[in-house]
Amino acid sequence: MTGPMARQVILTALAWICLTCASAAQTLVYPALTGRVVDGAGLLDATDRAVLTGSLANLEAKTTDQLVIVTLKSLQGTSIEDYGYQLGRFWKIGQKDKDSGALLIVAPTEHKVRIEVGYGLEGTLTDALTKIIIEQTILPKFKEGDFPGGIKNGAAEIIKVLGGDAEPLNGQVAPNTASGAKESNTGLPEWLVIVLGLVGVGVLIFCAVHGGVLCHGLFQILVLMLLFGRGGSSRGNSSFSGGGGSFGGGGSSGSW
Amino acid sequence: MSGSVASAFRKSRLLFLIPLLSLFLAGCGVNSIPTYEEQAKAKWSDVLNQYQRRNDLIPNLVETVKGFAQQERTVLQAVTEARAQATAIQVNASTITDPEAFKKFQATQGQLSGALGRLLAVSENYPDLKSNQNFLSLQSQLEGTENRIAVARRDYIEAVRLYNTELTTFPGRIWASLLYSGKKPMEEFTVEDSAKRLPQVKF
Repeated sequence: MTGPMARQVILTALAWICLTCASAAQTLVYPALTGRVVDGAGLLDATDRAVLTGSLANLEAKTTDQLVIVTLKSLQGTSIEDYGYQLGRFWKIGQKDKDSGALLIVAPTEHKVRIEVGYGLEGTLTDALTKIIIEQTILPKFKEGDFPGGIKNGAAEIIKVLGGDAEPLNGQVAPNTASGAKESNTGLPEWLVIVLGLVGVGVLIFCAVHGGVLCHGLFQILVLMLLFGRGGSSRGNSSFSGGGGSFGGGGSSGSW
Repeated sequence: MSGSVASAFRKSRLLFLIPLLSLFLAGCGVNSIPTYEEQAKAKWSDVLNQYQRRNDLIPNLVETVKGFAQQERTVLQAVTEARAQATAIQVNASTITDPEAFKKFQATQGQLSGALGRLLAVSENYPDLKSNQNFLSLQSQLEGTENRIAVARRDYIEAVRLYNTELTTFPGRIWASLLYSGKKPMEEFTVEDSAKRLPQVKF
């Protein structure tokens, strides 16, 4: 009895290793996508964030394009061009089939600003246009030290180009939208994932030892869930998440 | 009676085993080599697209600069010649498994990058040119294209690294010898000489 049992345990362990051997190494650290405005450098106050979040949500409602404003404490030693497209890919900003995302990135420590444009928007938000927006709208404000002004005007220009409505930015609308700092925790909590994983391993070992039709079925379901469960994340209605878009280095940068 | 029950049991076990085996094989990477190969090829065509985009921008740029800086004949000529050389080379999907052709492709594109860098550097000396709207637009497009080339090259290198690693490590090595014996490793870009530095565009 010990012979086949041991073999089954080994086979199960092998299958487990094979299924879980995918892993990704990452060198850059990215901030969490906490909303449409991710103010890591603390350049904006709550009102600014709320106003910007409102008009960015309007833009997506109107055109399905996703624009995210992000300020960074540090570029972690790399260039803003290098950081920008990788951040856009990491967050998957833009609709999946259209890659219709864009980022307005401000790195005050390095004195760099960049408009990062997703593949699908490169035709409308061209390199030349982003350069003009940066040079004529954003940088003059930044040079005066007016970061909120530069960011708001720049965002308004980008929204205009993308065909959205930039009204809320120019007028003094007090939107009722939730604050941008809301957590976008749509996935399962971490402890639950660990517990589920442990239960899965326990069931597998139990099945390997005892066998039985019910256990075989359970095992199969578990394997299938593992194979197809990856990448499928639920999307909450209220919180914001990337639509699956990708970036290829379009857009332009400026410094002050 | 008991025999038929046993055989039915065995059959059901077999039915259960086949899908499990295929899952097991897929989990262990029997499909990895062709998948990675296709991905690397797609990334390669992205790289070619971006270089082509740069090639398409150059005639306009040269014309614009000529209008303001006629005397920079040698620099302008160097760009035109480098572009002609870069476009003269036959490049296709098989270039990536041919070290010689790949090296040649990289060298000519590197030469073109160097010539373009010098052109943009001398443009700094002409205030009228620097404030020309057409030039500014071309310059930002070129800047964006250089950045796209950098991204496409990085993506390609990453895809090739995956593919080459899969070809030479366990368990891909076994699949390679069993099923994909004709597959050759692909070439990667190298960054050894300064001529390949991206042109610095300053405003």
